[in-house]
Amino acid sequence: MRPYTFAQPRSVREALRGAGPDTAFLAGGTTLVDLMKLEVVTPERVVDINRLPLDGITLDHKGLHIGALERMSDVAADRRVRENYPMVAQALELSASAQLRNMASIGGNLLQRTRCGYFRDVSTPCNKREPGSGCSALEGINRGHAVLGTSDDCIASHPSDLAVPLVALSTVVHLASARGTRSVPLDTFYTLPGATPEVENVLRPNELITGITVPRSPWAAHSLYVKVRDRQSYEFALTSAAVALGMRGRTITSARVAAGGVGTRPWRLTAVERALTGRPATAATFEAAVVRAADGAQPREHNAFKPALLRRTLVRALTELQESR
Amino acid sequence: MRIDGTEATAEPRPGQCLRTYLREQGATAVKKGCDAGDCGACTVLLDGAPVQSCLVPAHRAADAEVVTAAGLGRFGPGGDPDADPEALHPVQRAFVEAAAFQCGFCTAGLVCTVAGTPPPVGELKGNLCRCTGYRSIRDALAGRVNTEVAEPGQAFGRAVVAPAAARVVSGREAYTLDEPAPPGLLHVAVLGSPHPHARIIRIDATAARRAPGVHLVLTHHDVPDTLYSTARHENRLDDPDDTRMLDPVLRFVGQRVAVAVAETPRQARAALALVDVEYETLPAVFDPEAARQPGAPLIHPGRTPDEHRVADASRNVVAQLHEEYAEPGHGGVDAALAASAATVEGTWTTDRVNHVALETHGARAWLSPGPSAGAEQPVLHVRTSTQVPFLVRDELARLLDLPEERVRVVAGRVGGGFGGKQELLVEDVVALAALRTGRPVQWELSREQQFTMVPCRHPMRIGVRAGADADGHLTALAIDVLADTGAYGNHAPGVLFHGVHESMAVYRAPNKRVDAESVYTNNVPSGAFRGYGLGQVQFAIEGAIDELAARLGIDPVEMRRRNVIRPGDPFVVGRPVDGDLEYGSYGLDQCLDLVEEALAREPSPVEPPPAVEPVETWLHGEWSVGTGVALAMIATIPPRGHFTHARVTVGADGDFVVDVGTAEFGNGTTTVHAQIAATELGVPVDRVRVRSSDTATAGYDTGAFGSAGSVVAGLAVQRAAQSLKTTLDSLSAGHLSGRTDAIAQIASTQLAGVWAEATHDGSPRSVAFNVHGFRVAVHRGTGEVRILRSVHAADAGVVINPEQLRGQIDGGVGQALGSAMTERMVVRDGVVVTRTLRHYRMPQLSDVPVTEVLFADTVDRLGPRGAKSMSEAPYNPVAPALANAIADATGVRPRDLPIQRDRLWELLGATSDR
Repeated sequence: MRPYTFAQPRSVREALRGAGPDTAFLAGGTTLVDLMKLEVVTPERVVDINRLPLDGITLDHKGLHIGALERMSDVAADRRVRENYPMVAQALELSASAQLRNMASIGGNLLQRTRCGYFRDVSTPCNKREPGSGCSALEGINRGHAVLGTSDDCIASHPSDLAVPLVALSTVVHLASARGTRSVPLDTFYTLPGATPEVENVLRPNELITGITVPRSPWAAHSLYVKVRDRQSYEFALTSAAVALGMRGRTITSARVAAGGVGTRPWRLTAVERALTGRPATAATFEAAVVRAADGAQPREHNAFKPALLRRTLVRALTELQESR
Repeated sequence: MRIDGTEATAEPRPGQCLRTYLREQGATAVKKGCDAGDCGACTVLLDGAPVQSCLVPAHRAADAEVVTAAGLGRFGPGGDPDADPEALHPVQRAFVEAAAFQCGFCTAGLVCTVAGTPPPVGELKGNLCRCTGYRSIRDALAGRVNTEVAEPGQAFGRAVVAPAAARVVSGREAYTLDEPAPPGLLHVAVLGSPHPHARIIRIDATAARRAPGVHLVLTHHDVPDTLYSTARHENRLDDPDDTRMLDPVLRFVGQRVAVAVAETPRQARAALALVDVEYETLPAVFDPEAARQPGAPLIHPGRTPDEHRVADASRNVVAQLHEEYAEPGHGGVDAALAASAATVEGTWTTDRVNHVALETHGARAWLSPGPSAGAEQPVLHVRTSTQVPFLVRDELARLLDLPEERVRVVAGRVGGGFGGKQELLVEDVVALAALRTGRPVQWELSREQQFTMVPCRHPMRIGVRAGADADGHLTALAIDVLADTGAYGNHAPGVLFHGVHESMAVYRAPNKRVDAESVYTNNVPSGAFRGYGLGQVQFAIEGAIDELAARLGIDPVEMRRRNVIRPGDPFVVGRPVDGDLEYGSYGLDQCLDLVEEALAREPSPVEPPPAVEPVETWLHGEWSVGTGVALAMIATIPPRGHFTHARVTVGADGDFVVDVGTAEFGNGTTTVHAQIAATELGVPVDRVRVRSSDTATAGYDTGAFGSAGSVVAGLAVQRAAQSLKTTLDSLSAGHLSGRTDAIAQIASTQLAGVWAEATHDGSPRSVAFNVHGFRVAVHRGTGEVRILRSVHAADAGVVINPEQLRGQIDGGVGQALGSAMTERMVVRDGVVVTRTLRHYRMPQLSDVPVTEVLFADTVDRLGPRGAKSMSEAPYNPVAPALANAIADATGVRPRDLPIQRDRLWELLGATSDR
């Protein structure tokens, strides 16, 4: 790790004072410290935000509010989250390890960087790490990479499990900067790589995530997160699916569906949602609804299996959710 | 910050992580395994919650309460601050009683995770263990007691606790870099080659030598120009001399280009950036088949069989074997295949896998005054993480042109080896740097360097042709093996010859043929790894035998019964083997019976892996179930001599001290040697202390490899203990006769310093056997494989310590399941892409099922008290048994390792939607 200056402010205002492009905000540190050791990120100034008053989990008529500094383990264990938003708790528990979940924050989880091996290897070109240097993954080892939302400059997949159900549930992110506060839907918070893969979201250099709100919805309680991966635990998703269904009798009245492991950002599947809505919750409906789930996918040499695996993962998630009623 | 109840006042340095800070404060119970939050060896309790201290900036913990494994008993959850400083936490006691560690490097982190996690502890995703296969860890979590106390003189055959257990679980046992740093310690950083094949045209270290804190920079101009091999064997001529400490020709990405030695690791790394190198890139070759074709780039041109022991440098072939044999009255393989009722021909491949010993390679070297006061010549001390301290000493003396008595190599407890530490990889650099600077010097490899610089398992392509008559008797067996040894030939001949040896010899066939070549490429070098080539070749042969059985409609176990060798049969590879291999005992028939019976009955009430729900809830629809078995034979000792010396001494405190040169790296030899000595002497096992792996205090020992620790060093310990007992009996006759504890009594009173010694030369050698069986369910839609049943039978002769032996088998099975299912070093154009544990995918607790372990009942006439060796062997039959079970379930035979989920999915034809 390169040397840096270190500050431990106690208020958001203090934290944002003097923050610039060379400042890194440190919460759990599980991504930042790892990348600093590899010298993938080399901030001159590290601002430890753990003393800021950005904690707390509350549930009211608007929805679930989670402070940015809440730890993954605490959110996953929260009874209100487990009962009203089961797929959020499931996605958290299927992420990382117990020690990491004890450290990692919700805000940090949403901002975690890709696990693309080339991004983490400073000896190889990577447009995300060093704009304009090229993308090693295009012709390199790309089994874990994205097939949706990719560009000629970057095919890195988004690593967060949590973001997948949050995007499905139209979660809103609350941001604060010296200029004030604003709220952004999580779905538009993330940007596509396009020609600027170094930009991953709409966060400004001196802006902090202060918390999120997951809107209240009757269907969120009937939801499931399924993660398909190479081994049973501590593994990033090859594909994942977050599904929530509102039901009247056997009819689907509303559907929320998103996919992970396949996109350069968490991938909401509104066409699948539409194809499910108003139909009976049967195998035939599920199979028909996912046919076009991976439309537009651009597989590379090693990840050609992902579109088909995504469709199977969605069907499995819908089927298991339906069977669990 | 309070560390284990004591206030630490030192200010953390900018950029320092908590783990480094804690270790600098002397809290060396905190281990460094990966530096990336993947392995969990550095887990501590931070204000009560388990965290990986490598990812916590030390500043952040400034006001925190930190508890390490060393303080868990007093300051952990439910601890008693007033208790004895060495008091164990209940979790630590459970680990001791379950024997839930082998090398123990992961254990201090594991117990912190468990102690700090409210039950149920669950899958322990954040902690990796490479030795145990996790079964004994599950037992510790469940509170099962696997160990026992033995009566005096009765320790042999009992599951006694490892002598180091309490120190290991509390992080007090010192691994290679856990001793306090000697004053003035300097650090090494090494510049790795960016090119797979290049020549250094010009190298200028002037600026680097002037950089802050730098004491020494070495380029190929500054080191001895002596050829050697990083591989270490009893006979150094076993391996080709093709390596230089620093070579102007670079043959793989990551090969040493220059070495910097500075006050801090950071200064050393910074200096490397100032080394000015001009490279001429050379054509490279990465595919071993292409490498041996005419016109391929030559990687070691000019090396000869006589001088350098390179078989055919003009084809990049470092070692080869071409033999055919027909019993009298038989016409050879081709004729026999043409006349066979059934034949099989196919190609199998295995991939590059990494040892992932949790302790990375590392060493310290320093100079101290000579043995006699005022001696002019200082002694070079090297403390290193090695399986072969004496072989390291001998080669260091040769490389540095020092007499052997001026080099002392010491290995303490080693944090895992698996063959990876049968190499000279870091010791030469620290030794030379210490000689040049006069200062202590340390080099610790990073986890990334373990992937890019340390030799891995030889990937192999194995063609098999086999035939049988209508009764299932083999008519011919032929293999064609191509091994990729990478840029250097360390272990290339040994792995190749051993790989085809017991695998071919275990089957009787009147016609046999072996074609085998190990080929240089510009990939990272391959080396020694558990099984030493057998696992790869066995995967192919056991697949072919299974396929032959299926063609003939013969039960696969029965097919093997009809064809395996039996006592009296000659050992035939590509021709009959001369030498000292014997049937000390034979239990292969029992192993086959045991596995067959076990697979036929209901599982024993072992706990199912937590990740798998009860079978009936999911096993329907697209799931297919199948059963598979495979067998393997292994020689109990490496060929051509494995020498050892043991001395047993009556200590001043009345205990007995065993000095033996072999190293303990989780293989359990210190436990076993104490059991053997205590049994011969008729004393409690805790009265025996084993001191090992110090070239200055122990007699010569070839080292801990080839599964030799129990049967070679063990036999010497047995003989020395017997001899000492005879001496003590004669000395005590007269005034203590008739007392059952005569020896214990006499030892404690009068005879301190009396000793006896013995040696063993590792010959003759016996054979041991392993059979594995799986029942699996395969999901045709997604290629998922779930193991429903795992059974392993071993013929290890008389079992010295049933719990330790079972642990070794569990560990071998776990390691083999990794290379069978998920582990693969992805290398493209010579660049290793998988450089972190998170990308490499070694098994975690929930990936490894509990295996039912069964022992054959045999008594070996060559080993100590009838015992045979085992440590490598359980690895070998696992992958083929798994592939055979998948083939039985699906009708499709996986022939390429690892059987990754997407590969199997493709094999099953499921890539298009139904």
